[in-house]
Amino acid sequence: MTKKQLPLDELSGAIGRILGLLLTEEKVDQAVQSLSQAIKESVPGTLGAGVSILDSQARRTSTGFTDSIVEQADFLQYELGQGPCLTAWASEEPVLIEDLSTDPRWPEWRTAVSSLPIKSAVSAPLIANGHSIGAIKVYAPEPSVFDAGTVTLMELFASPAATLLSHIQSSETPKRISAGLQAALYSRDLVNRACGILMERHKITQERALQQLIGNARDQSITLQEVSAELVAGIPADHN
Amino acid sequence: MGFERKEPEQRRRLLEALTAARISTGTLWLQYFSIGGSVGEYEVEAYLQGMLSVPELERDLLAMAANELLNNQAGPHAPYADEVPSSDSNGSDAGPADSEPDLPSDEADPS
Repeated sequence: MTKKQLPLDELSGAIGRILGLLLTEEKVDQAVQSLSQAIKESVPGTLGAGVSILDSQARRTSTGFTDSIVEQADFLQYELGQGPCLTAWASEEPVLIEDLSTDPRWPEWRTAVSSLPIKSAVSAPLIANGHSIGAIKVYAPEPSVFDAGTVTLMELFASPAATLLSHIQSSETPKRISAGLQAALYSRDLVNRACGILMERHKITQERALQQLIGNARDQSITLQEVSAELVAGIPADHN
Repeated sequence: MGFERKEPEQRRRLLEALTAARISTGTLWLQYFSIGGSVGEYEVEAYLQGMLSVPELERDLLAMAANELLNNQAGPHAPYADEVPSSDSNGSDAGPADSEPDLPSDEADPS
């Protein structure tokens, strides 16, 4: 059973590579890193920016940040299981913190980051195909640095980023591949069976049989798969 | 030597059809694989760039794959080997099974 799976896995890999879908974790990390940098440079007053990609159990699968403060603040969020990014991710709504010292929403996280220069923050969820796949965030050292305009800006970033990042979610890849792979293998199998019928019927080589199928498809202006399907379906039952 | 007489012309026109319809090599190869093609993707890429010779049957399968992807849209179609004029008419000895009398005319008009 295990042996049987091997060629299919190899083929999946080959087709995934061809379709440009099988991107490595390395590329995801690079993408979230560049995205973090772009956010930091685009949002005025930002001390640091970050991007987190989460799986359905709120575990981080990929993370990018511009500064170690972001890294520490994020680490504490995921360790404590609370914080603005987790809220943004879970609620699928953006989160605005105007002054962390008076914001009661995440008491443990607030205490944990009190030594870090963080007073303002905005986090927006990354939503692709109706699913929340993570969050982007910016932090600032003074209160009231960010406002509703910042939230809008972050949402503008989040929308295309989520779409692009969803394509490099490794867990999605096998699903995407299997549809194309199945269709390709089904068609190829059909053509090969049609070739086999012609080889048997006319005592010809596989090459000659394929040539004949091409000729038939051209004559009838239909696809090779259609010609093959007709041949396979129409093979007489009493054929020896 | 290294290429059959018809090959460069057939290849050039295939590439022309692919370019006009913006069909990528990966897409072409997957379709070609689907209809029984046996040459790998890298080799197909090399063939398209004129760096590798492939047998006539595989060239025709590539043409068929391209034409199926073109799906009757306007623009050039990919020619089959018997649609490409030999640059040299005598003694070319290009293909062994070239004298098929029951396929006299070419394919239906693809437009």
